[in-house]
Amino acid sequence: MKVRVKNWSAVAVWRWKVDDDTCGICRMAFDGCCTDCRLPGDECPLVWGQCKHCFHMHCILKWVHSPNANQLCPMCRQEWKF
Amino acid sequence: MSTGPRLFPSSSSSTSSSSSSSAAPTSASSKPGSLGSPFATSSSSTLPSSSSDPSPLAGGTGRPAAAAAAAGFTSSSAAAMQSSPHHPHHHHALQASSASASSYMMSIGGSSSARKKTEGKTLSIKGFKVAPKLPPNYEQETWQKLQAAVRAVHEARPIDSYLEVLYEAVENLCLLGGGATLYERLTAECESHLRLEAEKLSVASEDPVTFLSVVDACWQAHCEQMITIRSIFLHLDRTYVLQNPHVQSLWDVGLIYFRRQVAEVTVTQRRLITGILLLIEQERAGDSVNRSLLKSLLRMFSSLGMYTEAFEPHFLRATHELYAREGAALITTMPVPDYLAHVEARLQAESERIVHYLDIHTRRNLLATVERQLIEQHIRVLIERGFEELCNANRIADLSRFYSLLGRVNGLEPLRVAFAAYIKKRGAALVCDPEKDKNMVQDLLDMKQQLDTLLSQCFGHNDRFQNCMKESFEAFINMRQNKPAELIAKFIDAKLRAGNKEATEEELETVLDRLMILFRYIQGKDVFEAFYKNDLARRLLHNKSASVDSERAMLSKLKQECGGQFTGKLEGMFKDMDLSKAIMVSFNQSKFASQMGDIELSVSVLTQGYWPTNKPTSMNMLRIQQEFQKFYLQKHTGKQLSWDNPRGDCLVRAAFPKGTKELQVSFMQTLVLLALNAGDGVSFPTIKAETNIGKSSLLRLLQSLACGKIRVLNKNPKGRDVNETDTFDFNTDFVNKHYRLKVNQIQMKETAEENADTNEKVNQNRQYQIDAAIVRIMKARKSLAHQLLLSELFNQLKFPMKPADLKKRIESLIDREYLERDEKDQSTYIYLA
Repeated sequence: MKVRVKNWSAVAVWRWKVDDDTCGICRMAFDGCCTDCRLPGDECPLVWGQCKHCFHMHCILKWVHSPNANQLCPMCRQEWKF
Repeated sequence: MSTGPRLFPSSSSSTSSSSSSSAAPTSASSKPGSLGSPFATSSSSTLPSSSSDPSPLAGGTGRPAAAAAAAGFTSSSAAAMQSSPHHPHHHHALQASSASASSYMMSIGGSSSARKKTEGKTLSIKGFKVAPKLPPNYEQETWQKLQAAVRAVHEARPIDSYLEVLYEAVENLCLLGGGATLYERLTAECESHLRLEAEKLSVASEDPVTFLSVVDACWQAHCEQMITIRSIFLHLDRTYVLQNPHVQSLWDVGLIYFRRQVAEVTVTQRRLITGILLLIEQERAGDSVNRSLLKSLLRMFSSLGMYTEAFEPHFLRATHELYAREGAALITTMPVPDYLAHVEARLQAESERIVHYLDIHTRRNLLATVERQLIEQHIRVLIERGFEELCNANRIADLSRFYSLLGRVNGLEPLRVAFAAYIKKRGAALVCDPEKDKNMVQDLLDMKQQLDTLLSQCFGHNDRFQNCMKESFEAFINMRQNKPAELIAKFIDAKLRAGNKEATEEELETVLDRLMILFRYIQGKDVFEAFYKNDLARRLLHNKSASVDSERAMLSKLKQECGGQFTGKLEGMFKDMDLSKAIMVSFNQSKFASQMGDIELSVSVLTQGYWPTNKPTSMNMLRIQQEFQKFYLQKHTGKQLSWDNPRGDCLVRAAFPKGTKELQVSFMQTLVLLALNAGDGVSFPTIKAETNIGKSSLLRLLQSLACGKIRVLNKNPKGRDVNETDTFDFNTDFVNKHYRLKVNQIQMKETAEENADTNEKVNQNRQYQIDAAIVRIMKARKSLAHQLLLSELFNQLKFPMKPADLKKRIESLIDREYLERDEKDQSTYIYLA
């Protein structure tokens, strides 16, 4: 005799795929959230620029919109583009 | 002419004519507009109320009849006279009352005819030719007549003269200016009479009760006599006494003499008091005594103004002694509830005593004495001997009594302390004994409910008691670290889990509310959170929640209690579950779904930060997992996925020869079952290689399948334990009446490990909190002594901890160069910026 799997309820865990541990702007863990958020996850996503640098989305938006940042990536001073 | 008080409502001529016709023998002296004598008012004596009130204290004042007379009512004094049995006018007066009414009618008719006759005639008034003179010894004779009457009254003999005559004699004497002499003579007469009475008393019976009645009779007689005498001498009382402010009224002077001659004589007074106290003692001992005698005598003391000085102190001392004795004797022999009931009965009896014969002013002192002797003196013993037992036995009525009695003597504070101690003791017994862990939470709930009942029904919702209950619960529930929090979390899990059919939604709701109260007392809320999270994860992933509503209700309770920070991750878990469902819907519509074969896959995609983490397992991904992962990562860039296979579940269809079954098994169990598809008699190493599962886990899995309640595998050789040398195949004889079966995992060991794991996680989190607190404090203070730092930490940190743990964290911070020790003082730390 043989057995056959009918249903499978699997469990998977997701996390951000980044090399760094912390956000270069707020110094908080990427696994955590930016300083303005309470909880990590989809509510506080990460974004990558064309320069391959990664930040909390809230952090980089705040940075880019600040008057003296000149739309530059804070890590490499190149123009920030999503 | 008519300067005196008018005793008739209208002293017109018609009234006077009626009185003259009724009081026939003395009518000649009755003039219109005269003062009017009380003896002529026979008509008013027919009032039933006045004639039936012989009380010497009618009206309640020292001079009751006088007051009544001043108000224009002579009835009571007149009635008092006429009601005395030896009064010669008594019979006559009653007759006269009806006669006067008819003669009054006649006189109205008669006067009209008389007016006709006298018409046209003149009436001339002439003076006496010789001024009328009194007989030379008039005053002397009159006094003798009065004296005889007074003596007759005192000796309770009939009076020879008519009272009206006597009254007028007094009136005449007063008018002639003999008031002072008459007053002195009369009072002297009264005093000498009372002296005689006092002598009689001094030789009266030895028996205290008989003596009391003798004195009482003497007092009653005195009152009656004084009323009669005063009525005779009313004119004296109304004129001479009133005109001379320093002269006492006849009634008062009677009281003064009575007090001086009788009541204040040391021997008499002593015997009186002894007698009264004896009677009261007898009554307290349960005998029935003559209460009216007591009442009359005590009223006597009050009237004489001797109650407070002469009686009350003795009485209170006797009370004090009696109850001091009784309290001391009963407290050792009587069970506490009986004693309390006894005290309550005593207090009740004493209150009644006040109503029945004591003066109302004694009330406070008397009750205070009883309370002090019976309760206040024994508060400690009462609490020590009875309180705990009563609480244990839940004796509502007795405890209410306990509370109210102690409340009378400011004894609530010790009771509160005892209540707190009781709660702590009972709670600690529940919490600190690991053998009772199984029922701890239920027991705590029951205890809380019982104490709540006590609080509301016995202790009148007293705020201080309520607070002390809260503090006591906090104290004992935190005596044992972590465990109570863990057990409450588990208890809630059991209640929220599916298959818990013992309660309706409402019942569940109330149980949860009560659990939240217990939860509130717990300091280590992080422990609770960790365990609750683990259990919630299991419920969500294995779809074991009884109802989503209850879960959400519980979550909102926690949120209310601990704030959004606490529940944020828990809410995130619910969100993940909803999101996963949406993901599966879109997955099934995608092209990847076609790769699934006949396996129905559903994946719960969890956000890492929300869920309790498991140790990552290194396992080969199965093909369908890879398909799903491709789908997921395509949709969500920047994310990576890892599989938590031990948490997975499968429904496996097994075609046993004696009936096909569906087995609800874990993913790991499924792997084992699939490995056996290869053929008969698969050996342990083969399965291990096939499934890539660790040895100890695999042993446990095989045991659950081959040695559990539902044996889907056969083990060769047979036995209870699984060995590495055994071989396995499907149990072809498997039968079960159900179609779908759940094969339990071997839980015990795992749970213990899991618990240790969870606790470890909590401790790690706490370390960060301790580090943060230390740095925070040191940053503010720059330098701080060890002890001060510790006390500051205990203030700031909300969970229980040991100083040794804190010391370790400080050491670690010194190693990491956050702090350094002061070179001069090793016990002081300095913050390094």
